[in-house]
Amino acid sequence: MLRTRPWVPYLYVAPMVCLLALIFGYSLVRVFDFSGRLIRGASGMWTGFLNYDLVLEDPTFRKAVENSALLLLAVPILTVISLLISVLLFDRVRGWRIYRSVLFLPYILAIPVVGIIFSYVFQLNGVLNEILRGLGFDALALDWIGDESLALWSVLFVIVWREVGFGIVLFLARLMSMDETQLEAAQIDGAGWFQRFRYIILPELRGTIEFYAVVAMITMLSGVFAYVFTLTQGGPGNATQIVEFYIYNQGVRNSLPGLASAVAVLLLLTTLILIAVLFRVRARATEEQLG
Amino acid sequence: MDPLTRPLSRRQLLRYTAGGFALSTLAPVLAACGGEEEKPAKSGSSGAQIGGEMKLWWWGEQEAAGLKKWVEETNTKFKTKAGVDVKANLLDTGQVIPQFTNAAAAGKPPDVQFLWNGIYHMENAWLGYLEPLNGVISDEVLQKSGATALSTFEDKQYRVGWYAIGMGVAYNKKLFEKAGLDADSPPETWDDLLAACEKLKAAGAAPFGGGVKDGYLGEWWLGHALTQNLDSPADAINLFIGELDWREPRYHEHWTRLEELYKAGFVNDDINSLELYQGIQLMDTSKLGITTSVSTLLPASQKQLGEDGVGFMVLPVFGTGALAGTPLLDSQGFGIPTKAENKEAAAAWIEYIHSEERVNALYDLVEQIPANEGFDPAAITNPLIKDVQERWIKGEHLPYIPNLMPTLFWTDAMFVASQKILGGERTGEEAGDLAHEVTEKWKKRNPDLVENYRTWSEDLAAV
Repeated sequence: MLRTRPWVPYLYVAPMVCLLALIFGYSLVRVFDFSGRLIRGASGMWTGFLNYDLVLEDPTFRKAVENSALLLLAVPILTVISLLISVLLFDRVRGWRIYRSVLFLPYILAIPVVGIIFSYVFQLNGVLNEILRGLGFDALALDWIGDESLALWSVLFVIVWREVGFGIVLFLARLMSMDETQLEAAQIDGAGWFQRFRYIILPELRGTIEFYAVVAMITMLSGVFAYVFTLTQGGPGNATQIVEFYIYNQGVRNSLPGLASAVAVLLLLTTLILIAVLFRVRARATEEQLG
Repeated sequence: MDPLTRPLSRRQLLRYTAGGFALSTLAPVLAACGGEEEKPAKSGSSGAQIGGEMKLWWWGEQEAAGLKKWVEETNTKFKTKAGVDVKANLLDTGQVIPQFTNAAAAGKPPDVQFLWNGIYHMENAWLGYLEPLNGVISDEVLQKSGATALSTFEDKQYRVGWYAIGMGVAYNKKLFEKAGLDADSPPETWDDLLAACEKLKAAGAAPFGGGVKDGYLGEWWLGHALTQNLDSPADAINLFIGELDWREPRYHEHWTRLEELYKAGFVNDDINSLELYQGIQLMDTSKLGITTSVSTLLPASQKQLGEDGVGFMVLPVFGTGALAGTPLLDSQGFGIPTKAENKEAAAAWIEYIHSEERVNALYDLVEQIPANEGFDPAAITNPLIKDVQERWIKGEHLPYIPNLMPTLFWTDAMFVASQKILGGERTGEEAGDLAHEVTEKWKKRNPDLVENYRTWSEDLAAV
């Protein structure tokens, strides 16, 4: 039997670890360092936790946090819609392959393209409202992105419209790899569609659903900037101000990279905590299942 | 002086004093290291060859279509004249400031950088990223280049003008005539404006507005309307740094007047879902009577409404400040970064674009008014542009006040206040309270910039 010294495997992975440390580690360290400075140009004087204090007392930041939290509602919406559609497609309804492609199509469109198109569609005198008025539904022709009370929900709709394709394909792929004999046996035993869904499909998809929920949550917290930027630019007022947009405003527009870094650190920590909680819940559920 | 920038300034000083000798001895060495053909380093303005490469980062095609043609032609001619190969990069609007600041911080800026006026380049000057142009560009060019007072700090000029922008209020003459208004005598007072809006509304058009989704209409409104209650551009800086108080009625009256227009039903109902240029298009397509605009956009509006279909005026007066009723003039321009690699070529290029031939070509090719006092307005055939030249440029004018605005005020006060007022969610007075809060917030976040602003205010008080 071939024997190697205990440190040899570490040697093999060292180049990749170094590369990752360089790419991610260095950037992270810089972000943490910046968050404690008043950055002017490439660096600046150390100010301790001042940036964090300034951020936390800022009403615009609190509004951004509130809006980002509301966008998390998209996670269950995306999960449920993706799940239902993928299960329907799994039943191999006529033309299901075409439906699958059509539903996935929005996901391959670049977010700015989607945002700009919908910014036209959602104008008060845009395509959507022209159609509604044409059909006689004048009362439904609302100012989708120009009204403070609607703008965030319009952004959320566009996010769901584009992102749902990924969930559908992910769930469908898992379903297609399932051993279908269980479903056939259940059907022979008289189990209805809902029973098969509840007792066979859902447990089979559990891991995939958890994975998708985590990915969707990360997307909502740190991957929807382009939607807001192209659709509403954070307005009207601060109605669609989100944490990412706040970071952009402070770092790029207001030339305060230190303050932007402080928010980035807070966002990173929040995301890590939420992911840790999710994994903990999952681990506990698995333990309960086994024991 | 900001302690953070002092080391850079010293470095600059050393560079200037050692300048000529160091450059003349190092240039051939660097050229040899780069493997390039050695070329004599002589001034481009004298017509001699400079050689080498020059990086130009510019912007403007977005607001004045056709500038690209002028830039390309200029660079081709400059190559023949000075032997310099200009690598031009048209910047995206959102990248003009951050791309330059980041590149300058990394020590890799271009040789010539496009610069918006006022604070949009002055913060970079304070950081030591921009070279003072005095002594680098000839005094004659500096003086006649139309850079405006907002390009100078402590007697040092950091920018030369390129093309001039008359800031004003455009109106659709056809709609004016349809509403029974005299299109050649636009409203001059606030009451006149309200009466005109009433008639336009009765004629079935949205009287006033545009698009505020991207915030720029709010900025233009602030420029036209706030200025009316100021006695000097220095007052604006004093507001932005909290020496004057936004909560005083005269300092938020511009927002109260906007609220008045909104509440009277004179503003187009889709203003919050449209961007600036989409809003101006409403006027160009005769759906909107009056909108804020700039002289650079007038030729495009004329293409749609006819040469005599567009009017351009100063915002009708409501304010009582010494500046009320005076046209606002801005200019786009260029500067030279402190760490530019080919400063000699950069200086020669800037002087070249202010040569008589290039200045005239700017109008001939693009119909933009050059920011150059030597430009002969006889070349202007378009009567509307001629009017802008005579009233906005030749006549008494003011710098564009929002160029003094800290960007935090832009994002957190102006942007928010204008959209909320035009959505019926906030009053002008509440907007004044918000402006005060944001001013205090800015001071806490930027303690090192307050002193620079104060000095700038003293400079501008003398203007």
